[in-house]
Amino acid sequence: MLTRTFDTMGTTVSLRLVEVVGVDADAAVAVAQDAFEDLNERFSLYRDQSEISRIARGELTLAQASDEMRSAYGDALEWRDKTGGAFTPHRPDGVLDLSGTIKAVGIQRAFDTLRAAGYRDFAVNCGGDILFAGTPDDAESWTVGIIDPADRTRTVTSIRMDQARPACATSSNAERGEHIWRRPDTDITFAQVTVVAPDILTADVCATAIIAGGHETMNQLTHAFDIAVLVVLNDGEFLGNAKFSELLNT
Amino acid sequence: MATSTSFARRASTLLVGACVAAISLAQVSAAHAVVHTSTARAGTYTGRLVSTIWGTVQVKAVINSAGRITNVIAVKLTDRGRRSVDISNRAAPILRTRVLSAQSARVSMVSGATVTSTAYLSSLQNALDKAGFTG
Repeated sequence: MLTRTFDTMGTTVSLRLVEVVGVDADAAVAVAQDAFEDLNERFSLYRDQSEISRIARGELTLAQASDEMRSAYGDALEWRDKTGGAFTPHRPDGVLDLSGTIKAVGIQRAFDTLRAAGYRDFAVNCGGDILFAGTPDDAESWTVGIIDPADRTRTVTSIRMDQARPACATSSNAERGEHIWRRPDTDITFAQVTVVAPDILTADVCATAIIAGGHETMNQLTHAFDIAVLVVLNDGEFLGNAKFSELLNT
Repeated sequence: MATSTSFARRASTLLVGACVAAISLAQVSAAHAVVHTSTARAGTYTGRLVSTIWGTVQVKAVINSAGRITNVIAVKLTDRGRRSVDISNRAAPILRTRVLSAQSARVSMVSGATVTSTAYLSSLQNALDKAGFTG
């Protein structure tokens, strides 16, 4: 199995690829990196000339924006509604910030390019949010370690991914997130939230929303979506639903 | 089977304890000890509805081939009004030892809050990437 890494979107992407005869790994990884970079050019608030930076400065209105921008904005608004407002595409100062969904879109696009290149068993990890396909070449399932929010050199547990929910995302309250804005009345005992879901966008948005919205959002989302959830509380105790318990290694 | 049901019932009691106050390691060890000396067959057992002073609760217990409880999953807990509610996909306290004991040496990917490219250099993921861990 090949291991490849590259930097994009301010973080590092780590890939695992079970080799396929006749597939050029270097070329495939370059295409996957481009998928992230194309999104970053349009949606990064860290790039002065990106389309979203021009919107933030008032040089461009949403009505004049590209179809891709308006479509991404529409999708983010849908997630705002589905999470009862716990997830939002706006910063408190009103600036449009789509980083909460764009990283997941990048993971999905990079994943799609690798599949199109011929890979069947592989994993895309972008800064701790991961999407898997198939199985590794030396085990029956992919295993993911969940970081310990109190000591990032360790993991608190590990889970076995299954085919029904191949996406895993984690958010923490220590994250200097551009997209996590906690409501004043939110329970602040959630140190870290991991969500395992059928797709990476659901996993990523739900993890962010539960950190932002606390208990109430967690109960709402576990009811509405087919997700497995693990919460690490500030005192080191855990909350999890039955679907998560079933993923734990035994 | 009857014995196993009683484990699930016992687990119910433990779980209620976990909901009210953090469960102590001593309680968990006791549960393991009880099961360890039993002839419980591997499988998943759903306990009876158990009346407690906090309301009616029900749990499922997963027992492995060595006769140990490896997981306790709440099926029904009580809400604030002490009504019994289905919590099939709700998050409830999980035994700390259960979570921690699931550590695996086969991890190749780590999930955590996003780190910057600079922080990645000192991250666990980087260590795994460098070590060529692919499990």
